[in-house]
Amino acid sequence: MSEQLTDGERLVLAELVRHDQRVLARNLAQDLMDSEQRVVSVLNSLVQRGLVSLDTLESELLSLTEEGHRYEVEGLPEVRLFMAVKSSGNRMGLDAAVSAAGLSQASKGIAVNWSRKNGWLDVIKIDGETVIEARVEKPVSQVTEVLAMLEKGVSQIPDRLAEGLRQAIERTLVKREVVKTYAAELRMEKKQVIQGLLAKGHEGITDITPEILTTGAWKGKSFRAFNVELEPARTNYGRKHPYAEFVDWLKEILVGLGFAEWSGPYVETEFWNNDALFVPQDHVAREVQDQFRVTKPYDHGTIPDAKYYAQVKAVHENGGGTGSKGWQWPFSKEISSRLCLRAHTTPVSVRYLSEHKEPPQKMFIIDRNFRAESLDARHGQEFDQCEGIILDRNLTLRDLLGYLSEICRRVGVKKIKFKPGQFPFTEPSVETFAKHETLGWIEVAPGGIFRPEVTYPLDIRDTVLAWGIGAMRLYMASLEISDIRDILSRNLTWIRGKYFVR
Amino acid sequence: MDTWKVLCEMSAMIVQCRIDDLSLLIGKALTLKEIEETLFLLKAEIESVQGNRIEIEVNPDRQDMLSSEGIARAIRAFLGIELGLKSYHVKKSPCEVIVRPGLERIRPFISCGIAKGVETSDELIKDYMHLQELLTTTHGRNRKKASIGLYVFDDIEFPITYQVEKPDSIKFAPLGHDSPMDGWTIVRTHEKGVVYGPIISGFKKWPLLIDAVGKVLSLPPVINSNDLGRLTTSTRNIFVEVTGTQRSCVDQALNIMIASLADRGGKIESVRVLYPDGTEVNTPDLFPGKMPVTTEGVVKLTGLTLSDQQVVDCLRRMGYGARIVSSGRVTAEIPAYRIDILHTVDLIEDVAIGYGFDRIEPTMPVTTTVGRLLPTTRLKNKVRDLMVGAGYQEIMSYVMSSPDIMSTKMMRDLPLVTTGNPKSLDFSILRNSLLPALMDFISRNQHADYPQRVFEVGDIVIPDGDAETRTLQRASVCGLIADARVNLTEIMTQLGFILRNMGFENRFRFALLMNPTYVEGRSATILIDDKPVGTLGELSPEVITRFGMAVPVVAFEFFLVT
Repeated sequence: MSEQLTDGERLVLAELVRHDQRVLARNLAQDLMDSEQRVVSVLNSLVQRGLVSLDTLESELLSLTEEGHRYEVEGLPEVRLFMAVKSSGNRMGLDAAVSAAGLSQASKGIAVNWSRKNGWLDVIKIDGETVIEARVEKPVSQVTEVLAMLEKGVSQIPDRLAEGLRQAIERTLVKREVVKTYAAELRMEKKQVIQGLLAKGHEGITDITPEILTTGAWKGKSFRAFNVELEPARTNYGRKHPYAEFVDWLKEILVGLGFAEWSGPYVETEFWNNDALFVPQDHVAREVQDQFRVTKPYDHGTIPDAKYYAQVKAVHENGGGTGSKGWQWPFSKEISSRLCLRAHTTPVSVRYLSEHKEPPQKMFIIDRNFRAESLDARHGQEFDQCEGIILDRNLTLRDLLGYLSEICRRVGVKKIKFKPGQFPFTEPSVETFAKHETLGWIEVAPGGIFRPEVTYPLDIRDTVLAWGIGAMRLYMASLEISDIRDILSRNLTWIRGKYFVR
Repeated sequence: MDTWKVLCEMSAMIVQCRIDDLSLLIGKALTLKEIEETLFLLKAEIESVQGNRIEIEVNPDRQDMLSSEGIARAIRAFLGIELGLKSYHVKKSPCEVIVRPGLERIRPFISCGIAKGVETSDELIKDYMHLQELLTTTHGRNRKKASIGLYVFDDIEFPITYQVEKPDSIKFAPLGHDSPMDGWTIVRTHEKGVVYGPIISGFKKWPLLIDAVGKVLSLPPVINSNDLGRLTTSTRNIFVEVTGTQRSCVDQALNIMIASLADRGGKIESVRVLYPDGTEVNTPDLFPGKMPVTTEGVVKLTGLTLSDQQVVDCLRRMGYGARIVSSGRVTAEIPAYRIDILHTVDLIEDVAIGYGFDRIEPTMPVTTTVGRLLPTTRLKNKVRDLMVGAGYQEIMSYVMSSPDIMSTKMMRDLPLVTTGNPKSLDFSILRNSLLPALMDFISRNQHADYPQRVFEVGDIVIPDGDAETRTLQRASVCGLIADARVNLTEIMTQLGFILRNMGFENRFRFALLMNPTYVEGRSATILIDDKPVGTLGELSPEVITRFGMAVPVVAFEFFLVT
């Protein structure tokens, strides 16, 4: 280690001398208008030089969780339930009380549990009806007090509320975090050395300039030392989205396997989205609760290929000469031309086949699809699908399993097994399960051979193998994401901190 | 959520079974692991186990496996305990159902059967109800296409009449109630009436089943009567009725229900249905269907080299009757409860399942093709690289958004593709521009470090009356800077860098733009070869305020032209 002090060390050391007593790194950072993290790093190097002693103190930080904050504002569910019962004269039917208290079904259990535990309410059966009865005059809750104090910014909860705090933490209304504080002090026995080091002042060349280089003024001089062991500062430069990089990686694998990329519209007619795939027109998945309908400014599209339409219609109604029984149900053009948001990428596969009927063909797509769901941790109104097809002479189920094995191997799945599956547009159908270290066997890649009811109307007689990969599921597993909303996260700080490395 | 199973996952069905009961039906003690492995090879899965109770997930094509009886039947064949076709004897009964005119447009078909000496217990009755519920949900399309009713046979006076009646004149006590209600009261207040009432409430007259002395059996497809339609543990003889709008669908539901009751010891008897046009039908018809399959066809689709005899064996393991008719030709007898066999490929899949998916060796074919990305993808990638080089963080947003974000807050009114059944207004339309999505994004990130330089490359959707799907989908790129001080010159310089590196040197220019989204005099149209492709500028303070922000923003957006 150099004898000289770096600029950073010099500043921190001088500040310690000025204080001449034990001082918190946080305060040093404030004085120096620098980050605490950086000051601690400098202090550590001063510790290594034996000039400074540094103590780490751990303390507790309490804060309200989202739920805790909500209860602080609205009141604890058990208090609200009690008040509802109280205001209707001490006795009330359970469901009536829950609704009078304005509680959701989810908080009903919480409210009943805690009000019983606290001995505020009794649950009894009268004539088969569940009724609750107040047992005390006032609901006294330590938890309420604890939440109120933390909301006000009080950092220490008095001992008399220890039980309330314990309960609030157990109910995840309060979060307890351990924070580290650093305190530094000059080592008394090194005072002279320190004075000496500081007195030496800046020595050596600071910046190498063109002038110094041309004149040769640097010769025989030393350079001022920098602390090269510092952790570099964090900053934000331009970069790609981690999920986009994951998709790029999948595309690279598929192009490497000889698949050509294809695309299709988000807004589809039900003809392509369902009918061409032999999904019966009255299938439950086509109803409004599952599939988005497009209604404005247009609600129906056109079906340009009349011959193909006639063949699909015949297949649905009576099998259309494919050897199938069909759905034996009148086929409606009104339904067929209806507009929807595509529910899967398979209509794009069929659109591709309608333009590429000659073998061999290999196509893939990774793109967005839509499903009438509300956005929460496990569901989304949008999801990506990665799927591909292979059209060639004499392909078989064994070949399909071969492709599925190969694709799984290339995305890093080591152990797989196959289960027969069911999809309306393939037969035989298969589901590929992958062995995941912590999750066990998970479903990763469905596949199948397109039914004759799908390929014959396209005038294709060769086998078409089709497969898919749960792209977002694979991504979630590899980045250890458990909330779907994090995939297309709307949190910039989170995105800046996440990366995908293949 | 994201697999290929979009169409199927939601309809996968859960069957509740008891392990001891299932073992009894299978006729062989299997460990849970053996049951699980067998089910896996038969397309089904154990969803959960709790003591003696297991939940089994069944794929919707196997409606015959929606009960413990059906699952046991499939396992028995697969494990060789009872190979081949299971035949059910149907005895003719003198019972009749007379169909009156007037149902043609409402619910024309009815098929019935009788099961005598059926085992009952509280749990079994629940099981029968559960099967009825599952069958009518998927196969019966939530009772629209077919609905099932079970009744105490001994309390019914035959013949039964299936007729129409005005809702006001319908009066009976529905299941779970002691006092009679009229049709409208049932549809408006009864739990099942509220759910299934809409299937018939649009008609002037509603379907009704009554017996010879005028007692009501049910108001199909809504609810049974409390009188005849409530099975108890002392019920031994059960009358089953299925009504619906498609003959084959009605028959299939009956066959599955009847087969289950037969497996519970029921002796099956048929009922004669007399239609107003003079047609007479005896139901149930449990006679197996026939379908030929060639060994060559099996080999061609599966890639398995099987002999004629092996094809027969595989089929028998799947509960089919099968025999070799001549060299290379096999005839399969399809059980009446297997309603999913539309085409020979369905049989061939069952041959493969009978063979065992765990025994099929994958092969890697040598289909030689050239892999490539779409030109649009390559262009998008090029622009993404340039944007990253210019210092922007890539963002990915949802394609769906709200009119508030796309139009109101942006002070724009450009046409939007709108859905008719959104779950929330937040995701009710398709984005027609990326800029509003990025504005929304940064407005949610006011606590994050500035400067915020973000970009997105993605597709936007614009209504287009001339297109097949009435939409024009275009790739677009949007870049945005938000900071305490932003500079229009900076973003113009970066945009110039990007356009030049895309090959538009000397082909692009900016022209002054008047647009309420931007500050007047500080925004421009981007033109390439004199065609407008996008805009750039300082966002108007009004727009920034509408997004709830207090930070200056400059941005550009343009279409990617190939």
